[in-house]
Amino acid sequence: MADQSREARQTPEGGLAYFAQFGVDEALFRAAFDKALARGGDWAELYFEHRVTHSVGLEDGAVNRAFTSVSLGCGVRVVQGDQTGYAYTEDLRPESVAAAAGTAAVVASGPSRDTPTAYAVQALPDRYPVQQPWDRVDIAQKMPILTRINERAFARDSRINKVRVSFVDSAGAVLVVDSTGQISFDRQPMTRLGVSCTAEQGDQRESNGYNLAGREGFEFFSDERVATATDEAVDRTLFLFDASTAPAGEMPVVLAAGSSGILLHEAIGHGMEADFNRKGISVYSDRLNTQIAPDDVTIVDDGTQLNSRGSINVDDEGVEGQRTVLVEGGRLISYMHDRISAKHYGVQPTGNGRRESFRHAPVPRMRNTYMLPGPRDPEEIIKSVKRGVYAQTFTNGQVMIGAGDFTFYIKTGYLIEDGKLTRPIKDTNIIGNGPECLERTDMVGNDFAFDDGGWTCGKDGQSVPVSLGMPTVRVSAITVGGVNS
Amino acid sequence: MSNALLSKAHDAVALAKKHGADDVVASTARSRGVELEWRDGKLERVQDQTTQGLSLRIYVDGRYSANSTNDLRPEALDAFVAEAVAMTRLLEPDPHRSLPDPSMYAGRADVDLDLVDPSYAEVTASQRMAWADELETLSRQQAPEGAPIVSVATGVSDGYGERARVHSNGFEGYSEGTTFSRWSQITLKDEDGRRPAGFGWSVRRHQADLDDPQQVASDGVQRAMQQLGAGKLSTGRYTIIVENRALGRLVGALLGPLSGAALQQKQSLWDGKLDTQIVSDKLTLVNTPHIVRGLGSALWDGDGFATRERPIIEAGALRTYFIDHYYGNKMGVAPTTGGFNNLRWSLGDKDLPTLIADVGDGVLIDRFLGGNSNGTTGEISLGCGGRRIVNGQLADSVQEVNLSGHFGEIWSSIAAIGNDPMPSSASACPSVVFEGVQLSGV
Repeated sequence: MADQSREARQTPEGGLAYFAQFGVDEALFRAAFDKALARGGDWAELYFEHRVTHSVGLEDGAVNRAFTSVSLGCGVRVVQGDQTGYAYTEDLRPESVAAAAGTAAVVASGPSRDTPTAYAVQALPDRYPVQQPWDRVDIAQKMPILTRINERAFARDSRINKVRVSFVDSAGAVLVVDSTGQISFDRQPMTRLGVSCTAEQGDQRESNGYNLAGREGFEFFSDERVATATDEAVDRTLFLFDASTAPAGEMPVVLAAGSSGILLHEAIGHGMEADFNRKGISVYSDRLNTQIAPDDVTIVDDGTQLNSRGSINVDDEGVEGQRTVLVEGGRLISYMHDRISAKHYGVQPTGNGRRESFRHAPVPRMRNTYMLPGPRDPEEIIKSVKRGVYAQTFTNGQVMIGAGDFTFYIKTGYLIEDGKLTRPIKDTNIIGNGPECLERTDMVGNDFAFDDGGWTCGKDGQSVPVSLGMPTVRVSAITVGGVNS
Repeated sequence: MSNALLSKAHDAVALAKKHGADDVVASTARSRGVELEWRDGKLERVQDQTTQGLSLRIYVDGRYSANSTNDLRPEALDAFVAEAVAMTRLLEPDPHRSLPDPSMYAGRADVDLDLVDPSYAEVTASQRMAWADELETLSRQQAPEGAPIVSVATGVSDGYGERARVHSNGFEGYSEGTTFSRWSQITLKDEDGRRPAGFGWSVRRHQADLDDPQQVASDGVQRAMQQLGAGKLSTGRYTIIVENRALGRLVGALLGPLSGAALQQKQSLWDGKLDTQIVSDKLTLVNTPHIVRGLGSALWDGDGFATRERPIIEAGALRTYFIDHYYGNKMGVAPTTGGFNNLRWSLGDKDLPTLIADVGDGVLIDRFLGGNSNGTTGEISLGCGGRRIVNGQLADSVQEVNLSGHFGEIWSSIAAIGNDPMPSSASACPSVVFEGVQLSGV
């Protein structure tokens, strides 16, 4: 049954049928391209999007709040060289889409160009097959999961005194029609479960949480996965009672396998987005084809991982999602490109042209970014550190693209003393410089963990879902933002 | 325009009632705006945005949901509302969800906030380009000769938005406003390969109030130039000045745990601290919702309560929490309001150069980068950068610095407050001097 339903839902032709319910058809494309290409322009595309998001929440023991949002619209982009004209409409009548196209066309200033005479639908892989799509799941099916989490969290430890759960799912459909006549259609499922806890011990209070996410259907929430997420949320909260801020200053940092990939995202990921390099404002602008890290470091940005939060069958300008090796054996071999930067550099786009919604023009963005495992035993890496920090879980990070300074915030970890994990630490920011930090990534573990957390990346006022992965690594020296007594 | 949006909100209330809702809050909004980005002598991107939307809070059988859509085709809307009401009925009840008593809506201030600059409608595409071009020219002119400029980007935006809200028990509100901004970012190439960028910006409700483009350009240029040759700082405790443009990050950490949700969920270090001294007696913060042309000004809040001026912190003592109607019900206390509109500070009488001279030796922090704080316990750890202060003068630039500690303690260590509130922000932060703050470096 699942296969048959997928057939109907994910086939490219299904896209035209899907958007036909909003009156979208070839006549509308023609009317829009007539306007979009009226002043020339190298490239134009129409991006139709329909997204329905449901959220249900538990607080103080009751599943008593729900949020629904429906977003529908079309963005029209006209590109001339490196220049972008963009306009969108939330009204899909042909005259409205054509008016938006006319507005976007102001960026060009030449004679009109031929519009597509025929449209062909692009065949795409399915990187996020689901058995139970969200538009067929009722809120009543989700509610018991939240209740179970609440009960399990309170049962796990008597110090837990508050539990909140949020369960979000989203069913998105996008249709990209470009000025070559190519049509790309994608159904984009997404779900995210967040559990947050507060605990009291004497007069001390701590709160923390855990979340997991993916381009998954309802079947993702197996009993086991839900139980593990709950236990993680509780344990990460209780961990804080014995933890304190790390010491301050420069020292070695060992990053645990998994969500430490946030280091890559901030330290080098953004700097390798080709728009910053095309403009010359990234610290990596003149580093292509040079050695930027030790030999053991290979870094990939991958849109093809099955059901991952950052995966995409097709990017938001109609380029198939793919796996892009950014750094191979320490050598920077590719930026992440959208169509504009690819043309600028004379290379193929890498499928990184992403956007938050039809309200935004696409720009190069990361997908699932991770480092491949290296040769070292993780135990050996920890043992190698006389005094430093072992960073285990994270909440957020940021980077200054040009200067290369970046940060990430450690929620939990340990002090390393004489090669052993000792005092638990918490709430400590790390600050470093991207290229310098990569050069100092001198031990790469042979383990690897992909993180299934609900990471969201912000750039140019746009948020997109991403994910991360990392083996255990050592950075020989970086500034730890702790407190010295 | 107000009648059209209000009448749509009334229609939405009626529609939800028709489908069985007991009570409804309907909000309608519409906006239009243009953002233009200019880079190195030509247009980089122009974006035209027109948006509309409806959101509905539905109360039925003691249950609650919030729903929003921009698909306003009548048949789609009808189905959306019907589904929303049906879904709400499936939830567990929440005895604390209700509309406020209509008496709570009373007392709306009768002031003209002057939030609309009608000239927004007359801005043309060629004007925006000319302004952005001028900002680039000014930035390049102000850079010293031979400055290693990689790129100059500038931007211009203008927008108009309006919203209406109707509650099924009698509240009705409408507001509109315009926003204009200009910015300039200059990127330089340092000898070590770094490409530091400096950013200047100005945001106002009225076009005529925008800062002089010279100032916006000069701000970006100066800040980029200052970062050339930046070094690292030794780890230690310092007297610091957090410049007005950066201070909002520390204000956010301080005020975040005042929310009803944080308090009720036991995630606030300020729980039980009302009317006690929580920070330095030099700090006084007042929520001032009725500033004419204020970026955060409003006459009613998220519950429909009339906004009013209210001290948040008076000489270091906590005077109010941000408790909305729902969390007020849950906590069994009277609600206040869900958050601040504009902040008014008890300012000092010294400008930034005088504060620097007074500090003598320390660090001026002009930017924060990432980091986070823990509202349950007070820990804070933020990346930052700025300049060393030596003998009362600004000296070399420092980067890759991190500030950490407990934000309650940091706010208790105020030595002086400047007289320089940031006009481009609703929090209107001045520069503030803090003593003995842990900075990490090398």
